[in-house]
Amino acid sequence: MRIVVVGAGMVGHRFVEETLRLDPAADVVLLGEESYEPYNRVLLSELVAGRTDLAALTLPEASGARVRRGVRAVELDVAARRVLLDDGSCEPWDHLVLAVGARARVLPLAGLDAGGGRLVGGAHVLRTVDDARGVVAGALNARRACVVGAGAIGVEVACGLRRRGLDVTVLASRDGVLDRDLDPRVSAVATRTLRDLDVAVVPQAGVRAVDVAHGHVDAVVLGDGTRVPTDLLVLATGSVPRTELAVEAGLTVRHGIVVDADLRTSDPTVSAIGDCAETPDGVSGLVAPGWAQADALAARLVRDRPVPTLPVQGATLRLKAVGLDVVTAGTRASTAHEDDRVLALDDAGARRYVEVVVRQGTLVGMTCVGSPELAARLSVQLDRPGVVPPDPLQLLVGAPEDQPGSPTTMPSSTTVCRCNGVTKADVVAAWDGGCCTVDEVVTTTRATTGCGGCRTLVCGLVDWLQEVDPAVPATSQEALAVRERGVAAR
Amino acid sequence: MPHDQVAQVPTTDSHCPYCALQCAQRLGGHPVAAEPRDFPTNRGGLCQKGWTSGELLRTPDRLTQPLRRTADGLVPTTWDDALDDIAARVQTLRADHGPDAVAVFGGGGLTNEKAYQLGKFARLALRTRLVDYNGRFCMASAAAAANRSLGVDRGLPFPLTDLDDADAVLLLGSNLADTMPPSVQHLAGPRSRGGLVVVDPRRSATARLCDDGAGTHLQPLPGTDLVLLLGLLHVVLGEGLADVAYLRDRVDGVEEVRRSVAAWWPERVETVTGVAAGQLRDVARRLAAASPHRGGRGAYVLTGRGVEQHVDGTDTVSAAISLALALGLPGARRGGYGAITGQGNGQGGREHGQKADQLPGYRSIEDPADRAHVAAVWGVDPELLPRSGVPAVQLLSSLGTQDGPRGLFVHGSNVAVSAPRAGAVRDRLAALDLLVVCDVVPSETALLADYVLPVTQWAEEEGTMTSLEGRVLRRRRHLDPPALVRDELWIWAELARRLDAPGTWSTDASAVFDELARASAGGRADYAGLSHTRLDTGEALHWPCPDPDHPGTPRLFADRFATPSGRARMVPVRPVGPDDDVRADAPLHLVTGRLLAHYQSGAQTRRVPALCDAAGGPHVELHPSLAARLGLDGAELVRVTSARGSMVAPARITRDVRPDTVFVPFHFAGDSLVNALTNDATDPVSGMPEFKVCAVRVERVADDAGPSPARVLQEVES
Repeated sequence: MRIVVVGAGMVGHRFVEETLRLDPAADVVLLGEESYEPYNRVLLSELVAGRTDLAALTLPEASGARVRRGVRAVELDVAARRVLLDDGSCEPWDHLVLAVGARARVLPLAGLDAGGGRLVGGAHVLRTVDDARGVVAGALNARRACVVGAGAIGVEVACGLRRRGLDVTVLASRDGVLDRDLDPRVSAVATRTLRDLDVAVVPQAGVRAVDVAHGHVDAVVLGDGTRVPTDLLVLATGSVPRTELAVEAGLTVRHGIVVDADLRTSDPTVSAIGDCAETPDGVSGLVAPGWAQADALAARLVRDRPVPTLPVQGATLRLKAVGLDVVTAGTRASTAHEDDRVLALDDAGARRYVEVVVRQGTLVGMTCVGSPELAARLSVQLDRPGVVPPDPLQLLVGAPEDQPGSPTTMPSSTTVCRCNGVTKADVVAAWDGGCCTVDEVVTTTRATTGCGGCRTLVCGLVDWLQEVDPAVPATSQEALAVRERGVAAR
Repeated sequence: MPHDQVAQVPTTDSHCPYCALQCAQRLGGHPVAAEPRDFPTNRGGLCQKGWTSGELLRTPDRLTQPLRRTADGLVPTTWDDALDDIAARVQTLRADHGPDAVAVFGGGGLTNEKAYQLGKFARLALRTRLVDYNGRFCMASAAAAANRSLGVDRGLPFPLTDLDDADAVLLLGSNLADTMPPSVQHLAGPRSRGGLVVVDPRRSATARLCDDGAGTHLQPLPGTDLVLLLGLLHVVLGEGLADVAYLRDRVDGVEEVRRSVAAWWPERVETVTGVAAGQLRDVARRLAAASPHRGGRGAYVLTGRGVEQHVDGTDTVSAAISLALALGLPGARRGGYGAITGQGNGQGGREHGQKADQLPGYRSIEDPADRAHVAAVWGVDPELLPRSGVPAVQLLSSLGTQDGPRGLFVHGSNVAVSAPRAGAVRDRLAALDLLVVCDVVPSETALLADYVLPVTQWAEEEGTMTSLEGRVLRRRRHLDPPALVRDELWIWAELARRLDAPGTWSTDASAVFDELARASAGGRADYAGLSHTRLDTGEALHWPCPDPDHPGTPRLFADRFATPSGRARMVPVRPVGPDDDVRADAPLHLVTGRLLAHYQSGAQTRRVPALCDAAGGPHVELHPSLAARLGLDGAELVRVTSARGSMVAPARITRDVRPDTVFVPFHFAGDSLVNALTNDATDPVSGMPEFKVCAVRVERVADDAGPSPARVLQEVES
């Protein structure tokens, strides 16, 4: 069976890689429009932030597949089962996989279009390596930047540009940042954090037009007429599934290319995955659901395995923004069922908010702002049965750490020297047996003779013994009890 | 040495009978006791195991005569009768089923001389392909990864003392504060500079060494170490922290690895491992800052069983090596990658022919030139040497099956306790026609044998051990063994004679060592320049040491790697995750490990009263929140069950384990045998089983119909 994959992005590559892993002899053709080697699109905002270099984005080649780069599919001939390409050639398929992704949504703003589908100078979207290069180059000569859109990409780019030292303004269409992914209260905490980083956030911006001077962006005009001067404009207003080929081929298309639970389009020889596909659960804009679809489709085509339920909603969002930690996954307070337990720790003053949703003893949702280590711990408990404590409050607060005791207050059974199993009582017994220096205690008990890590503690015990009881002729346990009472009474 | 001469020697300098640190000991006194000696590795320290090792000489149930199984159980017999009958039964099995009807299982605690002679015994006297050893359970993944990237497998390719000056040490899956406590002294330098990084799902004694600003403890979900390492590599390569000149001049495969980690950005790693992205970045930057190319005082990447005993263990070590290479560490005077060897002679034991595919000196049993060299030393036709056998888990699971071996010799190993899926291993041992176990004490495996042959232990024998840093050390005889106890060299010589084996079979350890040196000459682990006499001068000698004037090689890779090209090879890898992952009916991870007071299967340490006082029985460590979920309020008995078996032990409630994970030490047998649960799925490259993670459920014993708590408690207390 020949499988032709249109689209050599992260999801198309993942599908090819997984197909060849399951069947190294599989006949796979991968068609890619960009002339670049495959790269990690998720990290483009990191490139903008200057936290990674371009070489680190390059993904492994799909070895074992026939890869054609720099060719654009111009028509799907479903009846003849072949893809026509812009160089005049064609590729026949037994099964076709559409992984053509999405394109950046560009708002129809006055002044933005420089003609021929190009954006006016200084304005950029962020979808490809070329886009990221444009933003980075623009940032070098810019003092002020505006980011239109307050979703994940917009916030990551804003933080990245702020890290590069620009004055940054985020123009939000509604009240705060990340408002599609976070409930209003949580969005407010994230927005305040962003402002702490000196990123301005304009709510309800209602961007109306772009002012242009000398062919270059000069300012953004808001709904109320406010003019926000800027040298660099990044449009992060979401993406649109690329459906043109599918539409022309007569496949069913709504928002994206419609697929069933098995990822089949309206033609059984054509499947669609990733950002271009509209599954029964909707269209995803994140890579993880796309990868899961790629793996499931490969298993279906190669091994005839049933496709598991592949949720798109509630996929983990883990923001990559310098200075702002946001993780949200699964159910949140506003989407919780009636019987769910929703526990939240709202600490907006410290720019912190943590929320967990527990359903029948399993963690089904988590949202963390400004609490990266708790977020990390919780994220591996998500959807995992059998591990949530009976009182889910412990997920948020835990319990205080055990405090190491001082020589005075530690119980006599406390191990002093782990290497040789020497307890405080053993040291006291040695003292009572006539040892009166550290070295004598060491010789008698062997404490400190392993790793030597307890030397300070043994010295402390001996100091304490010298202080509280220079010479007590009693049995060790009694002496110890007397001393501890004495100390407690002080 | 005659008995009367020994009696005149007041003390004998030797090394500890337990782990690969091989702390220097002085044996003396009445009754014989061990005291520490100053030595670079242990610096005058001994742990409780070493201090009390003299007790091993006085265990009440020491094996003191050969035993034969009869209808009445194991009964004493004579050496002649035992060896005659064993040889006759081996001949019969071979005649009926061919030479592979008899197999050999060795151990990483045997001296170099015994390890060498055991491999030779298998190939020349038994003519079997089927020889492997318990090192397959410890070092196989690290060995495979080191070989494919660096060209040679020497646990630490630098002296342990090099760690003293480092700015950072990344310790992955090793609890050396419990397993080899005196070694912790070498972490003092990096700890004083805040540079110790411990990766362990448990807050182990070693992880606690990071407290108070001494370093960072990363606590990933069990089975996700490889992802964590790929994330560190991603940051090092992505943030421009790599040693570019070193990579250009000394390393191949960089581009493939760079691409292979492009999809493992820190936030993605966080969702898999549970380690915060920011922490991961900090650790990567700290390691880079400690590396020589950025002006640091040195950085080391060290792996232990915790990250190696997985179905992707070899790949995990490869990722650790790639990280070290990216930072320009291996071969740099102030940095490197190393695997922390576990068993006493885990290093030497894997070099000299106990492995299914190797001949002495790390020679390949499939390579014609290697076969010819060893055959010449042994004085036989190379055609006589069998080919490669199969790795340990495969060997054990084939015992007594239709096409598997019918007889087995076990030396220095307690597989009934230490092998994964131990319940099945016990069944396989029972299916054998002939099981011969050589041991010091009646271990759980010995008690299943048809013949139990009593052998010497450390203070009763001469030989050499190769420590975790590749230094060859002398083990010396301080006292005579009990009258009827014999050295394995003698047993193999006697059996070889009865089996009409070709070659010579010396019973003198020094002579066997000289033969080993010749057999290893020109091999990767070259001992040709070493002898007991030279080692007795006290010279610090690390292999390779190709001739008597060679000073040994404390540090490898200074000029070139041991690969054909002389360049190191980065290997791109892909995580596969645990073979037996958590699910609704087994929602918890099980990890296993060691306690300070015990060693391996506990056959030795469970017989030392002071160690039993310190840690008498097994336990199941679980987090307070899990305990609350299970309704436990103290040290109640709990049952832990995996798809392969179950065990019972008292609960120990501690915050040191993750709430989704339970920890059980593996030193105990009977109803508390945790290896009844562990997974025997193996790494496809190394054959190493996945001891370190499987899925289990935990229940209060009161809730089920298991063995009575009273009985278990009795066993625990006994």
